[in-house]
Amino acid sequence: MRSIRTYLLFSLLAIITLVTFFSVLQGYRASIEKAEQLFDNRLQNLAEIIAISNHDIRPRAEESTAHSSAVFFQIWSQNKILLLRSHNAPTSFLTTTDGIANFKDVNFAGYRWRTYTLHDTQLNRWVVTGERIDIRYTLAENIVTASIIPIVLAIPIAAIIIWWAIGLGLRPLKNLVLQLSNKKADDLTPVVLPHSPQELTQLVTTINDLLRRLNSAFAREQRFSSDAAHELRTPISALKIQIHNLQRSESFDDNELKPLAAGIERMAYVIEQILSLNRHSPDQGNIDKIKIDLYTVIQQNIADQYQQIANKNQKISLTGEPKCLLAANKFALETLVQNLISNASKYTPKNGEIEITVTRDIKSIEMSVEDSGAGISEAEIDRVFERFYRIDGDQHDSGIIGCGLGLAIVKHIVELHNGQIELTRSAQLGGLKVIVNFPNDEK
Amino acid sequence: MQILFVEDDIALAEALTESLQHEGFVVNHLAKGALAINAVKTELPDIVILDLGLPDIDGTDVLKAIRKVSSDLPVLILTARATIDDKVIGLDLGADDYLAKPFEVDELLARLRVFERRASTSKHAGLTIGEVTIDSVSHQVNVNDSIIDMSRREFMVLKALMENAGRVQTRDSLESKLYSWGEEVSSNTIEVHIHHLRKKLPNGFIQTLRGIGYIIKLT
Repeated sequence: MRSIRTYLLFSLLAIITLVTFFSVLQGYRASIEKAEQLFDNRLQNLAEIIAISNHDIRPRAEESTAHSSAVFFQIWSQNKILLLRSHNAPTSFLTTTDGIANFKDVNFAGYRWRTYTLHDTQLNRWVVTGERIDIRYTLAENIVTASIIPIVLAIPIAAIIIWWAIGLGLRPLKNLVLQLSNKKADDLTPVVLPHSPQELTQLVTTINDLLRRLNSAFAREQRFSSDAAHELRTPISALKIQIHNLQRSESFDDNELKPLAAGIERMAYVIEQILSLNRHSPDQGNIDKIKIDLYTVIQQNIADQYQQIANKNQKISLTGEPKCLLAANKFALETLVQNLISNASKYTPKNGEIEITVTRDIKSIEMSVEDSGAGISEAEIDRVFERFYRIDGDQHDSGIIGCGLGLAIVKHIVELHNGQIELTRSAQLGGLKVIVNFPNDEK
Repeated sequence: MQILFVEDDIALAEALTESLQHEGFVVNHLAKGALAINAVKTELPDIVILDLGLPDIDGTDVLKAIRKVSSDLPVLILTARATIDDKVIGLDLGADDYLAKPFEVDELLARLRVFERRASTSKHAGLTIGEVTIDSVSHQVNVNDSIIDMSRREFMVLKALMENAGRVQTRDSLESKLYSWGEEVSSNTIEVHIHHLRKKLPNGFIQTLRGIGYIIKLT
């Protein structure tokens, strides 16, 4: 069924046509019967009038000059002598005379006639009247057709009215479809359908129920990740401080504590990354976007994690366009920048170099992070975006803490902002170059 | 330095108290917001470290209450939630700094040192980093015991950098500081001041991070 409207229209029209056809057929039959009765009555009346108005008992020389080709009459004496006839009447006695008045169909002069024979008991004569059956039928048919034609003509008009009425009846459904299709992917507010008909009320209720449940599922997930964050970060902080205190005290061998410290560090890192991956999944409901200056975000981010960069004595610089406004979720954008810069610092050796550039043209805003580290080989480039993938597996340069989520998160965030990410080799510094491209909404 | 430390997680509180005491701070640890507000009312500490997720009163309400008592008491907020909203709320309500859990002890200490240095410059004491000493009352700068002349604005930029030694100051944050002191700020004001300061100070005292900002490293 391509369209409910078309389907209803055609099925209703078919039903109407069928019903009309049968009722017209029935009507036609009944009308013809009635008409025939009427004509018979007329024939009978005619015979009676003739019998009353004519008193001939001997044959006349002249014929009646009545000029009707459809009707005839004859007057016969008791012993079958033709007393008088109309000029179109036959000269023979066509019917039977069994003493009672009757109707009979006879053939003469190439036509079929309906005749009525009346026994005039007063003068003891026979009066025969006849009428051409084909003319009777034509007359009857004309009457019947005249009454049927309007019904047949009404069908196309009915079609138009039905089409319109179905459209009117389906309007609430159309409204619902329009509302649903106009809904943004992250809009989970209930559908409001004013004057919704009984049949749709259930549907709307079910849809709204579904939306509400989806919304609460999202909220629950967000609450979970927020709760998990709180429940996990506080004990991790305590562990980190405790290990810091242990490392400082003289009763412990620092070398023995190192693996423990690295373990805690790694756990802390993985928890952070998982939480942030969860928060920035593209299917993660609604995110609020505001205009943010990408340049300032990068500046602030470098300032915030400068300790890590300074510890490795790396040279870092930021060039390009200040005041690069971008419609983005602030927290997501900060996470993206933080991940890219901390990755660059992590995978670049001591005394290395990191260069960040922000450029803008009419179509897009581009951020690139280049480093003088080892880079990523062509074959690995696609795989680094997979969750938990780390180059060389867990044998990765043992000094570096990671879990393989950083770039997966970055990619999520880039997708969340309809951007693109590309990894290549830095021509300038020889290491990895990450290019993130956002559409420029600033017109 | 007396620190009021408000945190409900006992394991974290005990460990951090130990670290801070080891660094020479006097720590008064409380687990509830109501107690913290009372403590501030009774005796003003030098620094407050406040966890936002407290069991009885929301950390932001505690902060508001503290701000009613003292508007310039340095407050550092700790939180496990670490979303931008919390950060903005914390700083808007008048927190001086913000640290997300889990944090490095060294990072916390560095921030506390900034509070300390700020306190010492405002309490008429000099602040010394390497060969450079500043006195914010007399606006006097000494390098290797010889007095250096500088303009008021140059002094302010230097003071901001020295108080925040070890942390990068972006050009924007320096500009907003000058601006809040009622100075006029044009597009290259900071560059010009830094350029002049460099000539007067020891080589490499102020380091530039191209495109990002400036830093005075702690030796």
